[in-house]
Amino acid sequence: MKNTPTRIPPDDLDEYLRGGSALSRHYRKESAPMPPHTLDRGVLQLSRETANGRSPCLAPLAFAASVLLSVAMVLAIVFGPQTARRAEDAPRLVRVVARADTKPRLYSSDPQRARPPSVWLADIAALRRDGRDSEADAEFRRFRSTYPGYSSGRAATLP
Amino acid sequence: MLGTMEPLDEDAQLMSRYRDGDAGAFTALYARHKGPLYRYLLRQVRNAGAAADLFQEVWSRLIANRARYEARAKFATYLFHIAHNCTIDFFRRDRAMSRAARSEDADAPPEAEVPEYQRPDGIAEYAEQQSALLAALGALPQEQREAFLLHEETGLTIEEIARVTQVGLETAKSRLRYAVRKLKKALLPVQIPAARPLRTRTI
Repeated sequence: MKNTPTRIPPDDLDEYLRGGSALSRHYRKESAPMPPHTLDRGVLQLSRETANGRSPCLAPLAFAASVLLSVAMVLAIVFGPQTARRAEDAPRLVRVVARADTKPRLYSSDPQRARPPSVWLADIAALRRDGRDSEADAEFRRFRSTYPGYSSGRAATLP
Repeated sequence: MLGTMEPLDEDAQLMSRYRDGDAGAFTALYARHKGPLYRYLLRQVRNAGAAADLFQEVWSRLIANRARYEARAKFATYLFHIAHNCTIDFFRRDRAMSRAARSEDADAPPEAEVPEYQRPDGIAEYAEQQSALLAALGALPQEQREAFLLHEETGLTIEEIARVTQVGLETAKSRLRYAVRKLKKALLPVQIPAARPLRTRTI
């Protein structure tokens, strides 16, 4: 039996893809409708409006800023003035304890270990200005016992 | 599917500039692609109103997603990938609406299975359905018609058509081959059978 080589017909697609085929030429001769001008205007206006808006590059920054602001507000609410007040209160308690420890030294009758008279009197005057008269009186009694001959003036002694 | 690295074409550069806020770059880009995109849509759905809606939808999607644009492939593949998806959605919606309309008219006499976009009122708007070539193009299955239009209107290669339509290379090739074969056949002049020559017999 003799094998006759089968002739492969030229592929329509290969010929077409090479370009310039009759089919392509024919297609290009057809009318080439374009979008109506109203569509053009609508699309271009939308593109301009969007481009004139916020830059997309800034969007992540804006988001990050808003997150930071929110976190800051939450922190301010949780650890804000009340917490500060509590923090202020806490050392005051500690101070009381510390003063209790050092009380003999602070209010010692030994003039060399006590506060200088002018400083002490100023403290007593400050207590009086704050309306803490009983504390001021007690302080003044301690002052007198420490510095019996010191002329204290009116500011510290007057209630 | 659109992820392979290719040199940045001029359109991709324009799109990148638009993404970064240059409105003028979009105008240039639009001028280049509006015709091919419109014809692709018009000849796909064969209804001027639907084509106009889809045209707007494609550009709106492109504009809305500009921040995510990365110039990783030819811009035309990106644009027509959006157009392909919009068209597929359109055909799905149209089929669903046709089914719903049929179920409402269950008592009415059955109609032929003609999609909404191919009904006479829609086709009447498609005024250019004049030539034999365009008539043959309209008669192609949608996937073959799309492959042909993508190549003719945008110059996409088979590989790029496969990417846009999200099918394998061989499938895209086969679709285009069938489209070309059928359209070429439609272009052949109508053959009038020649009269047989009279045979004379000599006795």
